[in-house]
Amino acid sequence: MRSWATDTLFASLAYIAASLLTFWVLMPLQNVFFPEYPSRASLLFLPHGVRVLSAWLLGWRAIPALFPGVFIVFAILGGTDVFLPSRLMAILIAITTAPAVFYILKWAGWDLLPAKGRAPCWACIMGVGVITSILVSILTNWVFGSSTSEYVAFLIGDVSGLLFLMFGLYFAFRFVDRRA
Amino acid sequence: MEMTEISKLAELRKLMQSMERTLGLEELSPVERDIYYAAEELSKTDAEVRTYGLIEHTLVQNVSRPTFFRALKSLVQKGYLSHSGNANRGRYVVNTPR
Repeated sequence: MRSWATDTLFASLAYIAASLLTFWVLMPLQNVFFPEYPSRASLLFLPHGVRVLSAWLLGWRAIPALFPGVFIVFAILGGTDVFLPSRLMAILIAITTAPAVFYILKWAGWDLLPAKGRAPCWACIMGVGVITSILVSILTNWVFGSSTSEYVAFLIGDVSGLLFLMFGLYFAFRFVDRRA
Repeated sequence: MEMTEISKLAELRKLMQSMERTLGLEELSPVERDIYYAAEELSKTDAEVRTYGLIEHTLVQNVSRPTFFRALKSLVQKGYLSHSGNANRGRYVVNTPR
């Protein structure tokens, strides 16, 4: 039970931090440096990285672990609209797609989830990030009716977000090692 | 699979190591670097470097034995040093970093 609480706390906090950094820091910077960029999508969407890495590390437990974080972010951005059926559906899509992709791949014979004695494959996880991004775009479009041109913007933002998050973690570990 | 907090952290570190290796970002620890520098210096006078020669080198003098041997093993694994073809153990050949 304690492990569930810790997973939920860390995954949700990571999601909230990544989202606030994306919406309050990176997107205003994007608007300054690329004012002609027409899409509302972020070119560096860090929360996608949190979704994929949580799903990889926690499996299906990433769904309840991410739910409070994703709900809070939707509430911060959309206010009471968070209770609209379309928003609730978007939350469900955001938290279930990445674990679903990992389990579908596992059933197809390509198990990428952590296991004793198995070396993780970061390029494969990036691949899952791409598949998840495409699925989330299709499903979100189905719910919200975004234009197809947004798909490419979502894909760029999601993949670069996952890559940057991994680099961020890499340098954080290196920093901790040096301090130790 | 039920994982502890430590094993989750370990998995994340393994993932980062996998990225490090693929992207060529692998870096030597300070002890590994000192041993490599010492080995490189010693290899200028002799093609093969002996373990006891390395241990006595000024760069490595303050390193504890367990840390020294751990770092030496790691340098071999990373390809910076390789065991000499000679049957006599404890001799290494210095390789150029990839």
